[in-house]
Amino acid sequence: MTQSQRITLYILVLIAGAAWIFLNAAPAGAPAVVNTSAPQAGFTAPDFTLKTPQGETYTLSELKGNAVLVNLWATWCPPCRAEMPAIQKMYDEYKDQGFVVLAVNSTVQDSAIEIPTFIAEYSLNFPILLDELGDVTRMYQVRSLPSSYFINRLGIITEVVIGGPMSEALLRTRIEEALK
Amino acid sequence: MLTLFRNLFSPPRHMILLVAAAWVGLTLAEKRAERYGISKDELNNITFYGLLAFIIGGRLSFVLQNISTFLKSPSGIISINPDIFDPIGATAVALIFMLVYGQRRNLSLWHTLDALTPFFAILFIGIGLSHLAAGTSFGKETTLPWGIDLWNATRHPTQIYETLASLLIFGLLWFQKQNPRPGILFLTFAALTAASHLFITAFRGDSAFICNSLNQNQVIAWIILAASFLALEFRFKQTKNAG
Repeated sequence: MTQSQRITLYILVLIAGAAWIFLNAAPAGAPAVVNTSAPQAGFTAPDFTLKTPQGETYTLSELKGNAVLVNLWATWCPPCRAEMPAIQKMYDEYKDQGFVVLAVNSTVQDSAIEIPTFIAEYSLNFPILLDELGDVTRMYQVRSLPSSYFINRLGIITEVVIGGPMSEALLRTRIEEALK
Repeated sequence: MLTLFRNLFSPPRHMILLVAAAWVGLTLAEKRAERYGISKDELNNITFYGLLAFIIGGRLSFVLQNISTFLKSPSGIISINPDIFDPIGATAVALIFMLVYGQRRNLSLWHTLDALTPFFAILFIGIGLSHLAAGTSFGKETTLPWGIDLWNATRHPTQIYETLASLLIFGLLWFQKQNPRPGILFLTFAALTAASHLFITAFRGDSAFICNSLNQNQVIAWIILAASFLALEFRFKQTKNAG
């Protein structure tokens, strides 16, 4: 291929590329976030209503306006246990700024009897919710425990952290992002 | 099949695909290294140190961007969370490190990049597969028959497009019979990869936009494509003059 043939090819490809970009430009006023709900960053967090062991009811969508950490855990899961003190510490530090923790126990694969001891052991004072039928575990497509979903004030998932234990520093960066 | 694959390599196991791709890529790159005047040992060393710089650089870049957080929780700097990582910073640090290492070892930049091209090409296949396993880089909703069910909708399988494009690019470069001039192989790979991303990104549903409407990743891919063309032409001229 001669030099002029190559340069012609480059120019044609670049023009076609630029045209493709403009052809696929988002229409003015298009929503910046995906409106579908799914357990993935960028989507609206799937809504749920669950009860605490004391019978108090929490609905995720009613917490709009707050930054929420939905943490799915089980008592038998070592990394879940390991990250609880850090979550409690961050909850104490950020709750006045509108940070809420919903610690959803995947009760469908856990023993509910163990939960009060677990709460006492780690002196947890954020809501512990019981997913007795496994609906939330399925809705959030949980394949590993712990699984954590950071949700911003608009109800959009900003970050998903699969596995653990999460360090204080990681929690801080994700919480501050969700609080923005 | 897809569900089985996604269950098998669901996060954090999707990282296995990246590690496997890096290993296969390096093995293939080793086979051809001497063709580009680079010894297997040199190639292994530069890749090893590059990966080390990638890991350390990614962590440091994340820490520096969130320095106030880490001043409050300094132990977090060495915590095992893979999420404390900035991939852009990691890539920048690895490239700088590899450049400096190559210069100190008197390795030719273009020969080294050519030798590493199979590694990069296979790595991109691994990235596509890991996106598929994790469900990231997902596509827009579609009614096309080959759409996949992901995140509560039928979507363009952009991760599969991405993997197939990378596979095709690898095949084109690996099976070509001609031994091109130094740098041409790598720059061809860069141009083809940028072009494929420019095309495929249009079908992605997770894009960020700049200037209110332009797809950020497409714009970046276009810039890389233009830079690759410029560098290609520069290399053609340089090697012609040298010859």
